Amino acid sequence: MPAQPLPDFSTSVRLKYVKLGYQYLVNHFLTLLLIPMIATCVLELVRRGPEELISVYNSLDLDVIHILCSSFVIIFVLTVYYMSRPRPVYLVDYACFKPAPSCRVPFATFMEHTSMICEDPKSVQFQTRILERSGLGEETCLPPANHYIPPNPTMEAARAEAQLVIFSAIDDLIKKTGLQPKHIDILVVNCSLFSPTPSLSAMIVNKYKLRSNIKSFNLSGMGCSAGLLSIDLARDLLQVLPGSNALVISTEIITPNFYKGNRRDMLLPNCLFRMGAAAILLSNRRRDATRAKYRLLHVVRTHKGADDRAYRCVYQEEDSDGHCGISLSKDLMAIAGDALKSNITTIGPLVLPMSEQLLFFFTLVGRKLINPTLRPYIPDFKQAFEHFCIHAGGRAVIDELQKSLQLSAEHVEASRMTLHRFGNTSSSSLWYELNYIESKGRMKRGDRVWQIGFGSGFKCNSAVWKCLRTVKTPVDGPWAECIHRYPVDIPEIVKL
Amino acid sequence: MDVLTTLTIIFLLYSLYLLYKSYKLKCSRNCYLVDYVCFKPSPDRQITTRKCGEIIERNKNLGLAEYKFLLKVIVNSGIGERTYGPRNIIEGREESPTLDDAIEEMDEFLNVCIHDLFVKTKISPRDVDVLVVNISTFCPAPSLASRIVHRYNMRDDVKTYSLSSMGCSATLVAIDVVQNIFKSGKKSLAVVITSESISPNWYSGNDKSMMLGNCLFRCGGSAMLLTNDPAMQAQAKMRLKCLVRTHIGANDDAFNSAVQKEDDMGRVGVHLSKDLPKAAMRAFTENLKRLLPKILPYREIALIAFHIVKQKLVQPNAKLNKVVAQINFKSGVDHFCLHTGGTAVIDAVRQALRLSEFDVEPARMTLHRWGNTSASSIWYVLGYMEAKKRLKKKDRVLMISFGSGFKCNSCLWEVTRDLGDGDVWEDCIKEYPPKTIVNPYLDKYGWVNEETEETFNREERIEAFKNSPW
Repeated sequence: MPAQPLPDFSTSVRLKYVKLGYQYLVNHFLTLLLIPMIATCVLELVRRGPEELISVYNSLDLDVIHILCSSFVIIFVLTVYYMSRPRPVYLVDYACFKPAPSCRVPFATFMEHTSMICEDPKSVQFQTRILERSGLGEETCLPPANHYIPPNPTMEAARAEAQLVIFSAIDDLIKKTGLQPKHIDILVVNCSLFSPTPSLSAMIVNKYKLRSNIKSFNLSGMGCSAGLLSIDLARDLLQVLPGSNALVISTEIITPNFYKGNRRDMLLPNCLFRMGAAAILLSNRRRDATRAKYRLLHVVRTHKGADDRAYRCVYQEEDSDGHCGISLSKDLMAIAGDALKSNITTIGPLVLPMSEQLLFFFTLVGRKLINPTLRPYIPDFKQAFEHFCIHAGGRAVIDELQKSLQLSAEHVEASRMTLHRFGNTSSSSLWYELNYIESKGRMKRGDRVWQIGFGSGFKCNSAVWKCLRTVKTPVDGPWAECIHRYPVDIPEIVKL
Repeated sequence: MDVLTTLTIIFLLYSLYLLYKSYKLKCSRNCYLVDYVCFKPSPDRQITTRKCGEIIERNKNLGLAEYKFLLKVIVNSGIGERTYGPRNIIEGREESPTLDDAIEEMDEFLNVCIHDLFVKTKISPRDVDVLVVNISTFCPAPSLASRIVHRYNMRDDVKTYSLSSMGCSATLVAIDVVQNIFKSGKKSLAVVITSESISPNWYSGNDKSMMLGNCLFRCGGSAMLLTNDPAMQAQAKMRLKCLVRTHIGANDDAFNSAVQKEDDMGRVGVHLSKDLPKAAMRAFTENLKRLLPKILPYREIALIAFHIVKQKLVQPNAKLNKVVAQINFKSGVDHFCLHTGGTAVIDAVRQALRLSEFDVEPARMTLHRWGNTSASSIWYVLGYMEAKKRLKKKDRVLMISFGSGFKCNSCLWEVTRDLGDGDVWEDCIKEYPPKTIVNPYLDKYGWVNEETEETFNREERIEAFKNSPW
């Protein structure tokens, strides 16, 4: 094969600068336009001279009433304008549940338990293969009830797990923020597969003696994307209630959901789901703006339930033996990609800089009118965000998203490492990932974070946050004792 | 100076535009109830007296003491002959409900009720912006909200929320979610679905505190369409004036008054403690304290304040019972939609608010015709009032509901036009109120009070029952 000629570096370097120049010009167009305008105004003022300006002012014949009325009108309009703007929603702080080492489920434990519980050796083999390729590590945790052989999923055990994970997270949050339980105005709890009476939100009201006029909501069955749904609900409420704060709890209770049967598509959750919870404090009070970590910019929700395949992709049903489990279809990746595309179409215009939007628009016009074979331009989301938190649903999900969004290994590192250390903790995984980024000292003031969650339904939800103050390390949280060991290299297959 | 004048004019025009926009936003903050539809299950799902008896006698875990208790409850329940139950219980499979049974029960409701709502209001499912579902004791994956989105092919930017375990007061929690979304000003259409899942929650043990649920809960549900679009005001039935939520979960007794747990044999049921009525009253009082200033006319509030001050001056340490006794609750409310938790609940609320039999008739008749359909019961009560043509323009309707936790939620609606749509009550409204609501069990099962542990023989009784002409 003839040797490829070396690429002409001089042209490629110039192209890079051209693109940079183009981006700077388009993104700061209005600012750049302002410069000649200000220059002209200043020149004009200097040209006229001070005496002429004074004579112009005198000729206006203003007296006190005119000045008062016009200032009143200006102040009134400005007040109305500021009051009609949506209230900013701040994330004061958040805390994640840190499981105790006694709940650890290393591969050896998992395989031993599985071989003792499962009668069918083929299922055991299948689960081994899944675990080898899962991207999970040796320190993920299951609740105490799942350590029994066979697991003991009573209602009492499920409640105990709920109390353990939720109360630990809230206690940590109270310690971090100095939050007084009596000052909580809104409480939103989301837990997909465990919904006892009274609700988990009532359980929290009871434990922390919250006020009787609290607005509490308990969301259930909404899958792994429910964390961002709760944030959306809290945001809607904070827009309406002045001077309030909201406590959002995202968790998944594993105890009652162990699948006892042999169907392969239902065994996957047993291998991937692990214990976790996150407690988040949101506020719309101005005084919290100085101590808040993030500000919520956008929440975009996409629901693909109208499509049959998407709806059936994560489906709870009973197998032929009557065992209840959640089946994950083979189409999951394709559907996730599709849902993400819809979500991006809405969020793109909100977050992408003008340069990327114009490029996308011109390529679209070009494809439609001039040349249909032109490659579609995939907007560079790395321009809009510094950090990405992709739901750690499984290795395949992270790979798929890395490919579609053209992200580097560093961008998805938080997701991969969270999957490795904590497993798939469902709706709270996004918060473990955010904590990873902070613990690594990468979160600087002004950085924007994009959280993407996927869930049954099929839903794809995104939230965009802006960092308000640089987060100093060391960060107290679930990563505190192990962050120095990360990132680790996760092999494709771990031989068991 | 032309430049200056032009700039001033542009500025003034822009300010006027801003003022107009914020005025329009304010107008879109009202929450209107466009219409609602209650669910009427098919006639083959009716649970008659005979059916109830069969179901009780099937349960081998029950002895004489439990029989007596159950019959006492059923006789005093105020529930009639035409309430509805889920298929698996009617077909004798109550001890081993499957996921499919629960989904089938929900599907029957979702497929019929929501379809009727869209037809009645002439709205397309693709126009719905917000969907809030509250079904307390059943939360499958994907959620029932997703099930509805799938079934009715809704848009992909629809905001769905699936509330769960919030008890019999959850419908007002759902309305709270919707009204808060509406307050942001953007014109939206919201659908609220309320129901309860009975099939997976049958208690098959013999703990008395857990058997009450089996006797009282029945199948039902309702679907409501709400909007904040002022253009739909003419079509709307009612406008929401205020909504007050009270949660006394901080009190341990109240929190533990209704708890789902396993009994000694490991069977799951909802344990209703003896503190439940007290918790309900406490929650109700808390709720009234915040509700009354919002619903009573100023004159009445001034009068109450005057009496309180007078009492405080004369007898500073005495309780305010006398003052409370003088409050005229009916000055601010014309109709009362009470949650049909049971005759005890209705009687307690009636006594507390000093209502007449006419005021609580809709609640009693709903309990008789439909049983306790949990959160959707207040919509059946509203339906009764409408069918009886009691609701006129400018009337105020107060909805009160209770729920586990312990919660008491209430809201006040203002009727925007004269209403007269019979909906599910159409075929039977003429029979109500009936001459008597005494339970026929009293005749048939009166023998229970004569039997003792020695003389009681289950098998004999079942044989006798099977051979009876009734």
